[in-house]
Amino acid sequence: MSNFIGLIQNENMKIYRRMGNLIMILLLIGFIGLTGILTKTDKTKPVSDNWKQELKAENAAMQKTIKKEPMMKSHYERSIALNEYRITHDIKPVDAKSQWSFVGESPDAIQFILIFTIIVAGGMVASEFSWGTIKLLLIRPVSRTTILASKYLSTMLYALLLIIITFVFAWLWGGVLFGFDFSPGTHLSYANGKVVEENIVWHMWKEYGFASILLLMMATFAFMMSTIFRNSSLAIGFSIFLSMSGTVAVQLLSKYDWVKYILFANVDLKQYFDGTPLIKGMTLNFSLSVLAVYFVLFTALSWLVFKKRDVAA
Amino acid sequence: MSQKPLVELKDVKKRIGKKDIIHGLTFDIYGGEVFGFLGPNGAGKTTTIRMMVGLMSLSGGQILIKGKNIESHYKQAISEVGAIVENPEMYKFLTGYQNLIHYRRMVKGVSKGRIAEVIELVGLTNRIHEKVKTYSLGMRQRLGLAQALLHSPSVLILDEPTNGLDPAGIREIRYYLRQLAEKEGIAVIVSSHLLSEMELMCDRIAIIQNGKLIGVQSTKEFVESGTERKVRFLVDDPAAARHAVSHHVKAERITLGNEYLEAEMEREMIPEVTATLVVEGVKVYGISSETKTLEDKFLEVTGGKEIV
Ligand SMILES: Nc1ncnc2c1ncn2[C@@H]1O[C@H](COP(=O)(O)OP(=O)(O)OP(=O)(O)O)[C@@H](O)[C@H]1O
Ligand SMILES: [Mg+2]
Repeated sequence: MSNFIGLIQNENMKIYRRMGNLIMILLLIGFIGLTGILTKTDKTKPVSDNWKQELKAENAAMQKTIKKEPMMKSHYERSIALNEYRITHDIKPVDAKSQWSFVGESPDAIQFILIFTIIVAGGMVASEFSWGTIKLLLIRPVSRTTILASKYLSTMLYALLLIIITFVFAWLWGGVLFGFDFSPGTHLSYANGKVVEENIVWHMWKEYGFASILLLMMATFAFMMSTIFRNSSLAIGFSIFLSMSGTVAVQLLSKYDWVKYILFANVDLKQYFDGTPLIKGMTLNFSLSVLAVYFVLFTALSWLVFKKRDVAA
Repeated sequence: MSQKPLVELKDVKKRIGKKDIIHGLTFDIYGGEVFGFLGPNGAGKTTTIRMMVGLMSLSGGQILIKGKNIESHYKQAISEVGAIVENPEMYKFLTGYQNLIHYRRMVKGVSKGRIAEVIELVGLTNRIHEKVKTYSLGMRQRLGLAQALLHSPSVLILDEPTNGLDPAGIREIRYYLRQLAEKEGIAVIVSSHLLSEMELMCDRIAIIQNGKLIGVQSTKEFVESGTERKVRFLVDDPAAARHAVSHHVKAERITLGNEYLEAEMEREMIPEVTATLVVEGVKVYGISSETKTLEDKFLEVTGGKEIV
């Protein structure tokens, strides 16, 4: 076990001692920093004291347009329900220019984390081959399985670190820009025609969780590509391309039933909590099973190839 | 030399795709010896070494290290091995020291003191905290050696270890490898296609070509053995000379030239024959002995064309 921790330390050393990977962390911090400044300088007015009146007016306006635009019906229904809930339960809307509103937006950064993690995952095994260091790495009294596991885990720890950095920095920067607030407000969500009250911090971590599924699957995919093809550009390019186009492709093809077996139709688990499933008949358990099958496939392929391969780099 | 071999190759074969690369190599390597692995480019030296360290699977036969099969008992077998396979590629963005720490974490029982020891040994103390990308080829070779010695292995396998070293560095490594073999009883295996180098540092040399073992020979035997060599005597009267040496050397071993006589004989015979010639009044202007070096042998067996 202590041996395994040593291996993780090794992989971490190889990740964080490289300029490129540190620059990615800086880019992430830069992105959050910039979003904060944009929010701060934005022209929107703070929520006024007679917000109840305003919400009522807003609802009345929406009731009118709802008849004209039946396409948008569900969207309006949702907003109206949320506004009414606020009025009856006296829950003031969260000011956009507040620390917690800013922190609550931070899960948006996960799309960058996705790309950065794919970059690290795609180089994890392939780089050892292109550097030629794989030969010295593998001639130790450690099984190839253990080495691969330490590489995979270190990749995931990198993703986790980026998420934590995002959260902590968003909280700090939000506090600096908008003032620290130690009583986060309430988030309202709407599912199956009902309004649900949630702590904003809890809600935010749920957002991170939902978004992390794509991250986990695509990082695992990139890792597999890296192991099989020993070519980091291919692994990274292909994985990023799929991540960006996959979800859209699945939407376009959603009229076909077989689409439900595609990975990208199942990565958004939010469809079961706050929205409607992509294809009729899809359930949470179905998606979890599909995800599990893909995950096992990706990891098993990496493992088999890495374990069996003759190293002739 | 210890009795039990540290490394045993038994009919080792390798096939990649439809191509047979190694056609059944069998030989043993003992502790305390420097064993040379000689062959022209493409002979299969690196491939054999890859199999010895478990980077490649065997298509047939087996390799035992201290009696442990490299394939079925990988961890135990490889614990005894330190190696450089082809070029010593290290992590360039790390310092030499960080590279060694990296490998230290992968084995049990290597102290920080041991790291300092091997650094000192390979003469990298002054530069060890600099990034490897700033190292010269020779320095990388030294770091590679340090990495291979870190866990005090009993078998050291080095693929072309003198590649990139300057003459002083080559002499140093030669001396050092001999020390390791003689003082610590390590089995040192070095591959090379340079025979002259092998003659200087190896106790025994295996010559391979096209994946086949051509022979294993002891270097010593070659240099000072009783094997016969051609000795040429420059004389004024070859016919008289023939008569003079005829009771030392059989007639069929003697060839006459215009102003010389050539006779095949053992090294020990040369002074005797010379004395006879002088006593018989033959004027001797010069004596030259043509030793059949390993190189001749090597050139002979490999046809000489393929050596770089
Ligand atoms: N992965 C591979 N696929 C196919 N053939 C290979 C592979 N690796 C090596 N070979 C072939 O095996 C033979 C032996 O190669 P090897 O690298 O072992 O030679 P070598 O003796 O180390 O030569 P050198 O002195 O040039 O280092 C060569 O003919 C080479 O083309
Ligand atoms: Mg070679």
